[in-house]
Amino acid sequence: MSEALRAHVDEQVCVGTGMCEATAPDLFEVGDDGTSHVLLEVVPPELVAAARKAAEDCPTRALSVSDG
Amino acid sequence: MTALLPEASSVDLSDLEFWALPPEQREAAFAALRRDRPFAFFEEPEVPFMEKGPGYYSIVRHADVEAVSSQPKLFCSGEGATSIVNLPAELNEFYGSMISMDDPRHAKIRRIVSKAFTPKMLEAVVDSVELLCEEILADARKVAEQGDGTFDLVKHISAPLPLRVICRMMGIHDEDAPVVLEQTNFILSGGDEEFITDESQAMMQIIQAGQTLAGIMERLAEERRETATDDLTSALVRTEVDGEKLSYQEIASFFILLCVAGNETTRTAISHGVFAMHQFPEQKARWMADPSLEKSAVEEVVRWASPVIWMRRTATQDTEVNGHQFKAGDKMIMFYNSANRDEKAFNDPFTFDLARQPNPHYGFGAPGPHFCLGANLARREIAVAFRQIFEKMPDLEVVGEPDRLKSSFINGIKRLPVRLGGGA
Repeated sequence: MSEALRAHVDEQVCVGTGMCEATAPDLFEVGDDGTSHVLLEVVPPELVAAARKAAEDCPTRALSVSDG
Repeated sequence: MTALLPEASSVDLSDLEFWALPPEQREAAFAALRRDRPFAFFEEPEVPFMEKGPGYYSIVRHADVEAVSSQPKLFCSGEGATSIVNLPAELNEFYGSMISMDDPRHAKIRRIVSKAFTPKMLEAVVDSVELLCEEILADARKVAEQGDGTFDLVKHISAPLPLRVICRMMGIHDEDAPVVLEQTNFILSGGDEEFITDESQAMMQIIQAGQTLAGIMERLAEERRETATDDLTSALVRTEVDGEKLSYQEIASFFILLCVAGNETTRTAISHGVFAMHQFPEQKARWMADPSLEKSAVEEVVRWASPVIWMRRTATQDTEVNGHQFKAGDKMIMFYNSANRDEKAFNDPFTFDLARQPNPHYGFGAPGPHFCLGANLARREIAVAFRQIFEKMPDLEVVGEPDRLKSSFINGIKRLPVRLGGGA
């Protein structure tokens, strides 16, 4: 239970398609700079599935989730 | 699908007449290509006044489209993404804008407008989509009631909705909207005789259409430089990339791209969706009875319609795709329509299933930096259109065959006759 899941956006690759925001609006938001931002430092348990799905579905593969 | 597969070797995707064949025959041809010639090579279509290029490989399987689309460094867009023939550089950029660019430039340009198309920003647009759709349906009903109960779905519902939404987002004045529709039709006519009457004049007509749209942009941009609003045109004239404002050419081509892409695609999806629900009435009944199907239903409408048939990439170096070797400079055309019917990616791909799950379709393009900018907007528009049609026109029925656009690029429907009133 110790591992904390974190989401990460590669700003070089992200073009702000907003697909992650559609999947997990509480976790991701496209900013005025046109790239997605992670809103919560640690992914809360209830959003883990959504975070993983968002990473899997990211069209530019800019999104990753990792433990710790 | 029960149609007998044709010989894959007899298929010629560069023959415009192929694109005039009934859909079942085209589907059968792509099924044969997927099975027997997944990387078939074709001569380029003849384009008047243009030098004929070396030809292209058709990418027709879901997994191959994904491989090409998701590796933009190996398969670039900058040589042209929307034309098989290499266009002169100015034309390529003018009509392709960021579609025919590669990162990092592409990403910088695209991020200027990304924010306007995110789900949260679109929340603000939804109310206006609802209102616009109500008005449009009321107008369509008037046309039906003043006549014999019939009207053209494309002209009165599926064209005006995305047109008015994109014009509003861009700040285009209402009186310019009909011109925008007319000119985008020209640009994506694909050679259909209704729009391009003389093939030798095709390029000229398209250039004129671009100039007309650029003229609308120029007037609007002038107004926005004086007084900025929150519309997309204001964002384009205000923004700086690498410390420089966009050039006149860049703004014009961006503007044209948004007009064309915002109009011609969602229109096609809505038209195909209505026709599909006529062909599969049990699916229509299912969605009407269960509004919670909306999310998956919209995706299936997009998969089914595959509004944009292809995009092109060019190999930047010698490389391979799932075992097939390519040389630097090879052109490849990714056929999204074919990927969306790939038996290996979808169960019963020829079944219209509004609850389809999973549905990894490429109707908005495949993974990669060029994934459809307007996907979230299109989803909203399609959802609102069907919700309101079911609510306000539950008796709408299709009463004729769709009149299809003869184009390899857009899977368009020019007209679809429908009737209100249950055939009374």
